[in-house]
Amino acid sequence: MKLSRRTRGAVALAGAASIALLATACSTGGDQGSDGEDITLTVTTFGTFGYDDLYTEYEEANPGVKIEATNIDTGGNARTDAFTKIAAGSGLSDVVAIEEGWLGAIMEVSDQFVDLTEYGIEDRKGDWVDWKYDQATDADGRVIGYGTDVGPTGLCYNGPAFEAAGLPSDREEVAALLEGDWAHYFDIGRQYQAATGKAWFDQSGFVWNSIVNQMPEGYYTSDGELNVEDNAELKASFDLLAAAVGDGLSGAQAEWDWNGGKSFVDGTFATAVCPGWMLGVIQGSAEAGGADASTGWDFADVFPGGQGNWGGAWLSIPETSKHKEEAAKLADWLTQPEQQVKQSAAAGNFPSTLGAQEELASAAEPNEFFNDAPTGAILAKRAEGIVAQFKGADDSVIQENVFGPVLDALDRGEVDATTGWDQAIELLHELVED
Amino acid sequence: MTTTLRTPRADAAPTPPPAGPPRPTFRQRLSRFDLKASPYFYVSPFFLLFALVGLFPLAYTLVVSMHEWDLLKGQGPFVGLDNFVEILGDGMFWNSIFNTVSIFLLSAIPQLIVAIVVAYLLDQGLRAPTFWRMGVLLPFVVTPVAVALIFSSIFNEADGLANNLLNLIGIPDQAWKHDTFLSHFAIATMVNFRWTGYNALILLAAMQSVPRDLYESAAIDGAGSIRRFFSITIPSIRPTLIFVIITATIGGLQIFAEPRLFDVSSAGGIGGSDRQFQTTVLFMWELAFFRRDFGEAAAVAWLLFLLIVGFGLVNFLISRRIATGEGRPNRRTRRALARGGNR
Repeated sequence: MKLSRRTRGAVALAGAASIALLATACSTGGDQGSDGEDITLTVTTFGTFGYDDLYTEYEEANPGVKIEATNIDTGGNARTDAFTKIAAGSGLSDVVAIEEGWLGAIMEVSDQFVDLTEYGIEDRKGDWVDWKYDQATDADGRVIGYGTDVGPTGLCYNGPAFEAAGLPSDREEVAALLEGDWAHYFDIGRQYQAATGKAWFDQSGFVWNSIVNQMPEGYYTSDGELNVEDNAELKASFDLLAAAVGDGLSGAQAEWDWNGGKSFVDGTFATAVCPGWMLGVIQGSAEAGGADASTGWDFADVFPGGQGNWGGAWLSIPETSKHKEEAAKLADWLTQPEQQVKQSAAAGNFPSTLGAQEELASAAEPNEFFNDAPTGAILAKRAEGIVAQFKGADDSVIQENVFGPVLDALDRGEVDATTGWDQAIELLHELVED
Repeated sequence: MTTTLRTPRADAAPTPPPAGPPRPTFRQRLSRFDLKASPYFYVSPFFLLFALVGLFPLAYTLVVSMHEWDLLKGQGPFVGLDNFVEILGDGMFWNSIFNTVSIFLLSAIPQLIVAIVVAYLLDQGLRAPTFWRMGVLLPFVVTPVAVALIFSSIFNEADGLANNLLNLIGIPDQAWKHDTFLSHFAIATMVNFRWTGYNALILLAAMQSVPRDLYESAAIDGAGSIRRFFSITIPSIRPTLIFVIITATIGGLQIFAEPRLFDVSSAGGIGGSDRQFQTTVLFMWELAFFRRDFGEAAAVAWLLFLLIVGFGLVNFLISRRIATGEGRPNRRTRRALARGGNR
């Protein structure tokens, strides 16, 4: 009795397992293949990319090409997705969007991606701001990405909140008010906090990113050497931020969550750092939390400490793609100035090609959600003279796993400037091998 | 005893085979072979599959764990047990072990107690039994991701349901996602929500095979329902209880989705701002896919495997003792009885 029951169980289990195996075998097929007829190109993007309409347009212009798009919620999750698939040796889409923060790690295995000079990217070199093109060029001169957007940073602020604290709320007056360095920005924040008792910015993580990204060299020197522990500039900025947080300027929000967007509505904080692509993210989150144009978020042509670049992306073709030529054609088309203008209109991000930047600057389209601010034109001004810094292989690990936890503890008042910095250095030694 | 069995055979070996029975025909031999070997063929798909998707990865993981191995760049030099030494000296690893065991205990113990009670209640001849049985299984149908998202929202620190309810009775907001114990409690709640009903059904099936006349005679002897529960029900379902405990152990120590999704905003996979609820699998994931150190991640995988085997054995031994039935024959007497029955 006992034996037969066990045997039956095993057979049933084996049967179930083989059915599962069959099912997976079936679902992996499906692609039409390159028989000259219909092909399906897969594209993976992240955040708010603004490509949906462009896909349709491309499909209409290119009969026989079908685009299957996947959009991952944040750049961090897109990174996990891409890394896992590179490690597995399969599964990457024909076109993969790569974010600046983890480009450093990708460049270490740049041979896993198609050299786009084979598809004529060199002829378009003049289209992009030169540093955007250079960032995706490896030591052997292979170019692995078509630049999509860059991340010039401006300041998002809530007009009604400013008024409640007796501060000016007009876009230009705010820009004039906040012109200066980070210490000045925090000082205005202290005024705001004293008047309202509320936080000045959402959380320290993004502010810290903005500060680090502004430096000529961040966590790494331009030669690729890790430079955190004895980096006096970094330490001084950390102290500055810690002091501001200590004075209650941080809203201690969860990154990317903002309490489901509700914190944009209930006045938890008054300002947020806004790289171009963040505009779409904030709008999406805020609308999920019940905000609309009348909530009063606005976008000012100013940023503490001057110009800065945070983020931006490339479209790359992995070597595992079965339709490299078609994929390159699509990525090339998507990053043409004309398409970048449309992308910017849909996602609020800022293009990396000179042509598109000029067009955005001259068109000055009002952005309805951000109190009709001409976000494109403002970003064009914010982009003048910016140069992206070198990103090392572990840049995103340092950002997310070393400083992330410490800044969160800082926001919650669990550490101060000294203990926080020490903790970060300790984490750095544990997590990053140099 | 075994020697007495063996002796005649040893004596018989040198004597020439008697001409007695005729050689079996091919058909006969085939059918004998069929009788003896077929069961093994029937069960072989499972073992072949297991070798492919279980044993091979296990061995390959061991190979990876002995090398320096970058997620993206691939295999590096052989380093022997260095990765294991590194991991065993890593405070974060031990932190993750603590978290895992803590969440496991917080989930497994209440879960099993409630499951037994629920199963006992379901065994009491309710009206519409199928409705109630399906009812307790319902949470199990929900995917872990959905459960994690729902409970994440319930335990939201700003204005989640849990804090709102606590506020109603005058308790201030609790830091569900930052306090170590509270976060473990919240994650254990998700696990319990999903698995209690499932375990209850398995235990119910076992309870239903307990002969009813045992209960009747016990009742006639004056045993109350609590006495009947502890003296008849529990000992009778012991094998099933062991099965449930072992599967709960394996599942509990491998917990991943719940802590991963509990903290939606952390892209770094560290389980809380300060690793408050980073379980071992989550730690392994961080090592492999964030810090890109596949070698050390593989070492963690092996250490976790050993830990689970160890825990499984301990639980097996404990649960054998807990529910030892009165007058239950031990193994030797049972074997003797079986032998007697055959004769």
